[in-house]
Parts: sequence; structure tokens; C-alpha cells
Amino acid sequence: MSLTDATLKVANVSKRFGEFTAVEDLSFEVMPGRVFGFLGPNGAGKTTTIRMIVGITAPDQGHIGLFGERMSSNLQDKIGYLPEERGLYKKMKIVDQLRYFAALKGVSRTTADERIDFWLDRMKLSDWKTKKTSDLSKGMQQKIQFISTVMHDPDLLILDEPFSGLDPINVEFMIDVLSELKSRNKTIIFSTHLMETAERLCNDILLINKGRKVIGGRLRDVKSSYGHNRIALRATGGEAVLADRSVVVKVIEHADETDVELADGADPQGLLKSLLESGAVINKFEAVEPSLNDIFIAQIGGES
Amino acid sequence: MKKFFAVVRHEYKKIVYKWTFLVGTLLFPILGICFALVPALLFSLKGEATRIVIVDPTQRIEPRLRAALSPERMQEKARQAAKDASIDISASQEEQLKRSAELLVSGFVFLPFDTTGKSDDQVRQELNAKAAADEIDAYLLIPADIGARNARFEFRSRKAGDFVANDRLRDALNQAVRSERLSVANIDEELLKGLSQNINFQARSISETGDERDSDMLYLASLVIGMMIYITLTIYGQVIMGAVVEEKETRIAEILFSSATPFQLMFGKLVGVGLAGLTQLSIWVGSLVALFAFLSTQAEGAEFLSTMPAITPLMLVYFFIFFLVGYFIYASIFALIGSMVTTVQEGGQFAFPPMMIMLIGFYFCFAVIRDPNSSLSFWVSIAPLFAPMTMPVRILAEMPPFWQIALSIVINCLAITGLVWLASRVYRVGMLMYGKRATLPEVWKWIRQA
Repeated sequence: MSLTDATLKVANVSKRFGEFTAVEDLSFEVMPGRVFGFLGPNGAGKTTTIRMIVGITAPDQGHIGLFGERMSSNLQDKIGYLPEERGLYKKMKIVDQLRYFAALKGVSRTTADERIDFWLDRMKLSDWKTKKTSDLSKGMQQKIQFISTVMHDPDLLILDEPFSGLDPINVEFMIDVLSELKSRNKTIIFSTHLMETAERLCNDILLINKGRKVIGGRLRDVKSSYGHNRIALRATGGEAVLADRSVVVKVIEHADETDVELADGADPQGLLKSLLESGAVINKFEAVEPSLNDIFIAQIGGES
Repeated sequence: MKKFFAVVRHEYKKIVYKWTFLVGTLLFPILGICFALVPALLFSLKGEATRIVIVDPTQRIEPRLRAALSPERMQEKARQAAKDASIDISASQEEQLKRSAELLVSGFVFLPFDTTGKSDDQVRQELNAKAAADEIDAYLLIPADIGARNARFEFRSRKAGDFVANDRLRDALNQAVRSERLSVANIDEELLKGLSQNINFQARSISETGDERDSDMLYLASLVIGMMIYITLTIYGQVIMGAVVEEKETRIAEILFSSATPFQLMFGKLVGVGLAGLTQLSIWVGSLVALFAFLSTQAEGAEFLSTMPAITPLMLVYFFIFFLVGYFIYASIFALIGSMVTTVQEGGQFAFPPMMIMLIGFYFCFAVIRDPNSSLSFWVSIAPLFAPMTMPVRILAEMPPFWQIALSIVINCLAITGLVWLASRVYRVGMLMYGKRATLPEVWKWIRQA
């Protein structure tokens, strides 16, 4: 398998539940060694799509290819899946649960024990090895769940809201772990509502809504294709120019600067020129890229 | 296959490596021993005797009563009651209660009371006063003319709730009055007793080989076998349901389904829990065998064992097969229910129909014991759902022809295949449906879709 071959290929996949269409004609590819942000509002069809990828359910139409093969139960061992709904056996010792999950992924007992020790140490949870789930805090359970996702050393990680329930320190810690996994050429599919985190971590994104693709591609490309319609401005004067609704849609005053949203078709250079001509003194004029959050709201908020 | 065994081992360890399993396993034999010993223990207990005054103007009844209620006679009766209780385990609750109470009954102490020159009302007043002063517990007024049709025997007691003692007194009084009336009528009581004695009815069943067997013991042994299968099926069916609901409730199902096929997971669970049940059952059967081995070394025990129906190794093999068959039938039903519901409590409501079916199957055992060759016995020992309980009992009562056993196994294995197929379809969809309980039409849709 060469590096250019997609780790995951979803081709024209549809899934219906009775009358309801959860996913419709969805196609995308995830390249090896990249962090892929799988984004969308609640009920967009993310979980349904992920369940088809990990082989829990089968698509009604289209097909899913993994590592160049058609998805089958044998390939499940190469995937590490952290579902959004977390689950551990309440009254079972941590080590026993992890051993069981490892065995289900086809890991031998000795390898499993080594990896469990390694990861518990890494997560600073070695003292809890023989404790029961019910003795652990929610954050700790979260980390245990994460261990069960990575301990069989999968090539593809699918993480559904991996940071929910973690405090900021642990979020940073997990991000470190993820970047290390990425540096080992693991592919990570990352599903979240948190656009800031997605923006920080993802190389590629796919935004879906109502089971269909909205936008997708390299994060960089998505953002630049979206255009620079936002200006961070620090200036005195030029009020008349900013009041012209054919050029400026919205003006938000912050403490020390002003956020200016340009009208469709308006050009930042044109605005700058008009401001200078009006005699305004300009200390700062910066064309700001839209944040992922803006794109999300613009795409999804506009529709609903 | 490796994953399948991982599931089996997981489910097995989850049950067996728990102290509750140990307690449960030991509790059954201990309870059994208790049931055997408690009547004997109670028998040795003594309550307080009832202090009673008998006013008998005839002077004919009181001596008879005293004799009938003497401590020796009371003990003899209690011993008889204890014996009945340990043999007849099918007696009704009420009877059982009464029997154990009879063991507890204490004797009567007869106090003298001088009635000379006192009117009836005076006697009553004085005795009531004595009772109020806690000098006596009860008194009995016997009418002067016991032969009269409307003769009234007045019994007053502070222990009116002591129904056993009161029953005993009434019985003894009845007897005493009756024999007095007989002697007045010049009828020899002993002769009458001898003539109206019950015949000695010896019931033994004949097997096809012509051997005679004791039916009482056959009845008991069949019941024990039927009950053991019924109890283990109920317990382990519930265990399966609990395990399924837990995985659904805690959302572990999603992780499991992303690692192994639903069939591996469900069948692995059935086998793992089944092995745990088998472990428990073998401990019980093992301790029974050990008990019998011990009994056979005792003189009394050997005599008891000779009355037991002979259990051949072939029978044991059949019991084993039918236990497994029953287990897989009911376990897959319970797994199916577990994947439909959202909580164990909800599961309990849905578990009611299969529990009823099991109970009906258990009740059919009685019909089978009574007539192992009737057409009813034939059909219930072939029918899926009932056969696991009724066929072993039938085999024990009287070995049916081999083709019937084989037919029963085949039919029930087909039922298992169908049920496991059905259950794994409901399982794979239901386990991922959170939040609400599935309706039957929905379940039907899952079965067709999956």
C-alpha cells in the first residue's frame, strides 16, 4: 500500500431506517497519517456513518473500503473506535476489562498485558489497575476507554467526541497523545461539535448535514475558498464608510478594535481605499480568515 | 473462533469468579440439609403447657381426655407429624404450616377444681376470675347429659389463637365423647376399631423390565430432577438477560459490536453463562452423589437408597442433553428480551411470559409422573419449551422408546436454531437502540431488516 492510497474510502454510501434517510450518497476519502475532522450538527448522520465504517451496520447502498480492501469483520481489528456513548463494565476490575477488549481485538494475552501496563502508566492510572470502574472518576473512565481504543495498536482511530468530560489539563494531555500517534503515521478520524478543537487538530475536514456532504477537503483550502470577508480594524474616523450597507454588512465594536463583516462581492482592498480616502487614521487593518465556527454556522445555521 | 472463546471465557469468569456464585452454590445444599433437619430440631423444642380445668359432672370424659392428651401420646403424634412432613413435600402451604406447628405443640396440665355446691354460673365466674388472675389458661365445661343431641361443650381459653392445641383438644374430646357414647350403647369399641381399620394399600410401579419400584420415592426423585432443571433454567435465563441489559445500558455494546460479530458475542454469552450454570449443577449433582455414597455405607442409608429409583449412566447423559437443550431455548429467549428493553426492571415484566411457560412445563411434570405413557406425556415431552423439563422426568419415571427421545431432541434443536437466529437478529439491532423500549411491531421490523 503506497502512501497515496486512502486509508478509508467511502463511496456513494446511503443508509435508511424505514422512511428516514440517515445518510445519503455520501463519498469521501481519508488519507493515511492525517487527522480528519468529521463535523456536523446533531442528527447529521455522523454516528450512523461511523457505525458503517467500523462494521457495526452495513450500508444500504455504496461501499466502504478500508486499507484498500472492502470492509469486513476481519478489518475491525485494525480500527480503534471510541464511541460517543462511553461504556465500561461497572463492577469489573479495570485490568480485566482491558484484557477482554484486547482479546476481542485479537491481541494475545501477553501482548495485551504489556500494552495495558504501558498505557496505564502513560495515563498515570497504574494505581487503579485492579480497581473497579465504579471507583473511578468520570475523567479516569474516559482515559480507560481511550486505552481500550488504542491498545491493539490500530492503524485507524475513530474518536467520537474524545474530549467530552475531560478537564482542560487532560484535554491538552490527550492532544499530546494524539499528535504522537499521528507522528507514528496513524490515521485519526475525529468527530466533534467543538470547532475550535477541530480547527486546531485537523488537517482535513468534512462537514455533513442531513446525511449529505456540505463541504470538505483540506482545512486550509476550505478556509481560503470561503474567502476573506472579515476585517479586524483599529481606526479613528471613517464612520460614514462603515455605515455603507452595500459594502459592510455588520460592525461589531470590541474593547480596542472593531470587527467588520464585508458584504458579498465587497473587496477588502476597496474598503481600505475608501477608509483612507475618507481621512480615517488606520492603526490596524487585517483581513481575517473565517474560523471553522463561522463556516459551520454559515453553512448549517443558514439552512435551518 | 478466538473471539468467540474470549467472549465465553469473559462471561464464565464474570459469574464464577464472584463470591455470590460461591454462596449461591453452597446455599442450595445447605438449604436442602436445613429442610431435612429443621423439623427434627423443632420437634425437640418445647413450648409452655396449657393449664386447663375440666369440669366433668359425668366423671366419664375427663379420664379419657387425660389419657389422650398425656405427654407420651403427644410426643408420639409429633413424631408422626415430623415423619409425614419430611416425606410428603407436595403438601399444601397450609398443611405444612400446620404440621410444623404441631411439632411445637406442648402438653396440657390438668388442674383440679372443686365444683361441689356451685351453680353453673358460679363455676363460670370463678373460672373466669382464675383465668384473669393468670392461674389457669383455659377451661372446659362438659354437659351432664353428653348423649343429648344439643349437648354443648363450652371451651374458654386465653390462648384462643393456639389453633393447634385447640384442635388437638377438640379431636381428643370428640374421640372421648364418641367412645363414651359407644360404651353406653353397649358396642365394643376395640371391635369397632378393628373392623373399620383402613386396608394396607401397597403402591409400587412396574417398569418395562418387570422390576418393582417404590412409587413414593420415584415421585420424589422425579420432582427433584424437574425442580433442579427448572430452577437452574430460571436463574441462568435471568443472568443472561441481566448481562445483555447491562451491555446495552452501559453502551458497551457499541464497542463490542465494533470488535466482533453479533453472533459471536451472543452465542459466546450463551455458552459462557451456560458453562457457569453447568459448573454449579455439577457441584450440586456431585454433592448429591457424595451424599448417597456416604449413605450407602450406613445401615439405615442403604435401606433408604434401595427404595430410590435406579439412575443409569445413560439417564444421566439424557438429563445432561435436556438440560443443555432447555438452557439454550430459554437463554436465547431471555437474550432476546434483554436486547429489547432498556432496564432490568423492564426486562422483568417481559420475562413473565417465558417464566410462566417454564412453570407450566414444571407442572406438566406431575402429569408425566402420574402416567408416563399417556398421550399427554408423549406430547409434552416432545413439545419445544416443555420437553427440557418433562422429558427427564419421563425418562426417570419410565424410559420411553428411543425414537421418542431422539424426536424430542431433534425438534428442540430445531427450536433452538430458530430462536438463536431470531435472537441474534433482534440483538444486533436492539443493542444499539437506546432510550426507549422496543414495541413488538418494531422488533418484527428488525428481524426482517437485519
